[in-house]
Amino acid sequence: MRMDRGNVIAVARREYVARGSTRTFKLTTILLVVVGLGIALAPVLFRAVFGEGKQTTIEVVVGDSNPAVDVGSTLGAILNVPLGSTAAGGTGGTGGTDAPPKFKVVTVGDAADARARVLAGETAGLLIVGRQASDDDLTFQYVTKESAANRVPQIVRQAVATIAIEDRLSGAGIPLADQAQIFSAPVYSVAQADPNAPPPQSPDELVAGGAIGFVLAIVLFMAIVLYGQWIAYSVAEEKSSRVMEVILGAATPFELLSGKVVGVGALALTQYVIVFVPATAALLLQNQIAALVLGTTVGPIGMPVGLSIPLLLAFGVFFILGFALYAVLYAGAAALVSRTEDINQIVAPMTLVAAAGYLVAVYSSTGILDAKATFVVVMSFVPFFSPYLMLSRLGAGLAGPLDVIVALAILAITVPFALWLAARFYAAGVLMYGQRPSLRLMLRVLRGAR
Amino acid sequence: MSSLFVVSLVLDNLTKHFGTVTALDGISFSVKPGEVFGFLGGNGAGKTTTMRIVLDILRADSGSVTWNGQPTAEAPRATWGYLPEERGLYPRMGVLDQLVFLGDLYKLSRKEAARRAKDWLERFQIADYAKRRAEELSKGNQQKIQFIAAVLHEPPVLLMDEPFVGLDPVNVALLKEAFLEMKGRGATIVFSTHQMEMVEELCESVVLIDRGKVVLGGPVREVRRSTGRQVIRLAIDGDTELAWLADVPGVRVVRPGQDYAELDVEQSVDPETVLRAALDRGKRVTQFLIDDPSIEEIFIEKVGRKPTEELHLVGTGAASGGPGAPAGSGAGAGAGTGASTGTGAPA
Repeated sequence: MRMDRGNVIAVARREYVARGSTRTFKLTTILLVVVGLGIALAPVLFRAVFGEGKQTTIEVVVGDSNPAVDVGSTLGAILNVPLGSTAAGGTGGTGGTDAPPKFKVVTVGDAADARARVLAGETAGLLIVGRQASDDDLTFQYVTKESAANRVPQIVRQAVATIAIEDRLSGAGIPLADQAQIFSAPVYSVAQADPNAPPPQSPDELVAGGAIGFVLAIVLFMAIVLYGQWIAYSVAEEKSSRVMEVILGAATPFELLSGKVVGVGALALTQYVIVFVPATAALLLQNQIAALVLGTTVGPIGMPVGLSIPLLLAFGVFFILGFALYAVLYAGAAALVSRTEDINQIVAPMTLVAAAGYLVAVYSSTGILDAKATFVVVMSFVPFFSPYLMLSRLGAGLAGPLDVIVALAILAITVPFALWLAARFYAAGVLMYGQRPSLRLMLRVLRGAR
Repeated sequence: MSSLFVVSLVLDNLTKHFGTVTALDGISFSVKPGEVFGFLGGNGAGKTTTMRIVLDILRADSGSVTWNGQPTAEAPRATWGYLPEERGLYPRMGVLDQLVFLGDLYKLSRKEAARRAKDWLERFQIADYAKRRAEELSKGNQQKIQFIAAVLHEPPVLLMDEPFVGLDPVNVALLKEAFLEMKGRGATIVFSTHQMEMVEELCESVVLIDRGKVVLGGPVREVRRSTGRQVIRLAIDGDTELAWLADVPGVRVVRPGQDYAELDVEQSVDPETVLRAALDRGKRVTQFLIDDPSIEEIFIEKVGRKPTEELHLVGTGAASGGPGAPAGSGAGAGAGTGASTGTGAPA
């Protein structure tokens, strides 16, 4: 097969410019930018909408219960202890040193007014402290509009337990200064049974790794289906407008096909860059944006857990090869139809295959399927599925470098074969008009009819 | 390898089947360099298939096509300029943009392609449409764009399938001028047409194919003489019926007309007997011309139907002929060539 690089570039360039200037492209780009920004700013938006991140105000009425400790300040101190600060090897969160306290606890005098404020939504709750006549123990009542099972009533409950114990200890004659030592954490460590095994992932890491695989699978699937459709449409349009015959006088089917895949691929990358740059910027500037919008910050943002340079590199290579594989097949298939209306029918089998890989990747990275199951492992080497599955296995820490290299090698061998196959369909199909795409037609084409 | 014959494009025994349909059944002919060559045949005769094989868009089942001794599949693509029968442009792409794109494929620099394209648009009086999308143009203007696309890279060989069809006389003249200019620059031009007067006006040689076979071919003058028959163009003042011709043996009207009638004369008959018979009857002869049969007549004689009629390919051994005799023309089959079943009866 002759291959003229100049022609490939010319075709790619035309494809890039023609498709890039369509309204569809501009609209999808704008839409994706909005979606990307939305995802990046989800924490800020979430807090802006649901009030998360704002201070939760709880008022305390002590009445005549006369507790041994200052309920207001103790409650505030306990509620604002950062979550997970006692867990060894935390997830990289730095414990909210910069963030303002989440809970503001105010001691007030009048219970009725405070109750009215809870009802009006001005405060999250009111803690009424009393004392039982029978055993002189403290009683607590938390007045709120929330369910008792909600997060805030639950942590308030934990906090008041501590306050009650402190009060009882004081009643038993132990001074507050000594109590601090009683409440300090003991020495505790976890030892791995097998010292040679890599440290098992924490639930956080597992979720993060799975989420990365999940996101990459979505990105790849979208690229394949969306841009694959573009290529298919472009081929069918050339055919239905009969411009194909003119072009075939000037370039070989192989050059045309390669140029199309390169052109649309480049446009796809362009769109991704347009979408990802603002989204990444928004992610990194989340604090500043939050400060602007909410007047508060949401805590420092690091690289998402589980995202590493090797993983990104592997993603890049899998993305390009996986996209190329599907794109050439979409183009070859589209050459068999005469009208753009028939595209969906002819590309449906490939979309199904792509969706199958996508779903298995999503299910195994979210834990619905066992990512270590034999069929998942085998599928992660099959060219049509490996871009999805090897990535999600890699993201979950279940695949080694060797697996990735073998899967990439198989994929890299498959792509030229697919290109050859598609060029064959293309060469035969582009001058075929009026025939319904059928299996028999495909077989005839494969035998080399031109 | 030296050859005494100067030939550039040689088609040798091409065959092509589509399923059970035989499209080409041993097509052979050759085209001299710098020649305007008429490639004739009815609809479905195999012209488009042949052109596609020359361009290596289709592959022949057997046979070969060579350009200057080299298989055409190996010749640079820029050797050819192609105007396909089914016109096609990118509907949503700017006119100038697509011309530049095609020039790019044919190895012109984009700048040069744009310059030439603008020149041609200017020449075809459609410079205003350079930025318009192709779908906004009229059919005729689209066809002019298509023509420019074929000649932009100044190819040594032009293959044109019906370049003049569907154009008004002004545009036909514009295109014809461009056509002859390409010839003047040394291009070899192969074109198909149903307009036989174009063939006589422009072509030096022709080949006529029918149902995938070459029926006849050669220089236009020789082809016209090859029948051994002569025709007479006769015009008589105040008599378009020419009823008295029935009395003249060996003569019949093949094409009656208001301005003149065309008569077929058997070889044994001296054309002058017709003139004498007219004068004897006291007619005023305003035109009397002895000529070879026109290409159109030869076409009808050989193919058995008019150039514009449809032939429906239905597998090998297809029934011959189009849908009956052309109304009003009274065309008859020639003197027993056996090549056709003949249509219609003599008037």
